[in-house]
Amino acid sequence: MQAAYKRYRVIAFLVAVLVLILADHLASPTFAFNMGDGHARTALNQRDASACAPCGAPCPSTRE
Amino acid sequence: MSEVAAATLGSQRPRVDGFVVGLALAGMLLVGGLVWLETAPFLVALFAVGVVLGVALYHGAFGFTAGWRNLVTTRRGAGMRAQLLLFALASLIMIPLLGSGQPGLVGAVAPIGVSLVVGSFLFGVGMQLGGGCGSGTLFTVGAGNIRMLVTLLFFIIGAVVGSIHLPWWLDLPSMDPVSLIQLAGVPGAIAIQWAGLGLVMLWVNRIERRAHGDIQRGELRLAPAQGGWWRTLLTGRWPFAWAILVLAIGNALTLAIGGAPWGITFAFNLWGAKALQAIGVDMSQFEFWTWDYPAMALADSVLVNITSVMNFGLLLGAMWAAGMANRFNEASRKRPEGRQFLAAIIGGLLLGYGARLGFGCNIGALFSGLASGSLHAWVWFGCAFVGSLIGIRLRPMFRLPN
Repeated sequence: MQAAYKRYRVIAFLVAVLVLILADHLASPTFAFNMGDGHARTALNQRDASACAPCGAPCPSTRE
Repeated sequence: MSEVAAATLGSQRPRVDGFVVGLALAGMLLVGGLVWLETAPFLVALFAVGVVLGVALYHGAFGFTAGWRNLVTTRRGAGMRAQLLLFALASLIMIPLLGSGQPGLVGAVAPIGVSLVVGSFLFGVGMQLGGGCGSGTLFTVGAGNIRMLVTLLFFIIGAVVGSIHLPWWLDLPSMDPVSLIQLAGVPGAIAIQWAGLGLVMLWVNRIERRAHGDIQRGELRLAPAQGGWWRTLLTGRWPFAWAILVLAIGNALTLAIGGAPWGITFAFNLWGAKALQAIGVDMSQFEFWTWDYPAMALADSVLVNITSVMNFGLLLGAMWAAGMANRFNEASRKRPEGRQFLAAIIGGLLLGYGARLGFGCNIGALFSGLASGSLHAWVWFGCAFVGSLIGIRLRPMFRLPN
């Protein structure tokens, strides 16, 4: 039975995603910090305990 | 065993797609290695949890969308009951964790108001047109479904637009989150959730019994329908009970390791916002992206964002599972026509916009919300189901089978 996909398309798609991830990471403070920039402000722990929703939205009672 | 019998058995056994399996494993090694080298071990653990969740969703064929649609169109409730059992088990595990007072653990609670009602309703319409919910879209994309890739792309666009509009929606009438754990304590919260889920299950059973005279108890089966346990574990299809167990434990592990329950759609927001930022759009002009969590996530690498890392794992896990089942891209063998692509576009936009206004998808708002004892999850459930009913009615217009 003929394959349902073209191999080069799958590889191209995954490589494109990987390139995007790498491009984002190489421009990030985490990468700068790992490269020795001690002033880079990384956000390894991104939780905001005061938020009222998983997306970080504030509570209706605290909105002005 | 005779040669004929052995050959027959061999032909029944699904051949593994070595190319896809190998590529998925290489992807896991690359992304996992990158997370390991550049971030912290807890993110590697969450990446691994994402992989397992992707395998469970694919091999368990655990689609929220199809489960809801089957109840409406064929009046069969096994998929819906499987979801209710999943919520019940996850509540039993996660509510005590959240109620233990352990520092650093935050439940998936959210405000209740116009934004939630409108958002979850739109999400319900979108999931039937788009062909999947948050997790469904992601695992089918991982399995190579091209129509779902279109849905995902517009899911991301809708989510970004939703993030820009969300502050306006939040200014409409709403109230602060209601946590059943704070209201009734741990045993009380579990009892309330189980009573609510039990009532929904009675309603589902009633619908099925009235239509068919009996109830198919497929969700309780532990043994594989065909083939041995090992082969089923690796190549599917898993009984619902296996998927329920893995998904509930996976969500609890996410909470224990990451400090918050499993979510999916925030990453879509983030990816879209990063794309806009890359082409020069200043996202800090939009209020949503000035709030602490979105601002932190936008400023740093996707590899330190828990939701993104878990989504990468989920995609690769589903890809591996589809390769093991030799069904990668199988859903795209029959090319979707124009109207079906249009449904994917409209559905994706509604999914993204709805998920942002409704504080998440079937995973972040419904599954994790119920397992966190949050009242907003019940509102989300009801409104999304009503939206889903309308979405089911609209499907034939787009030549989508019901």
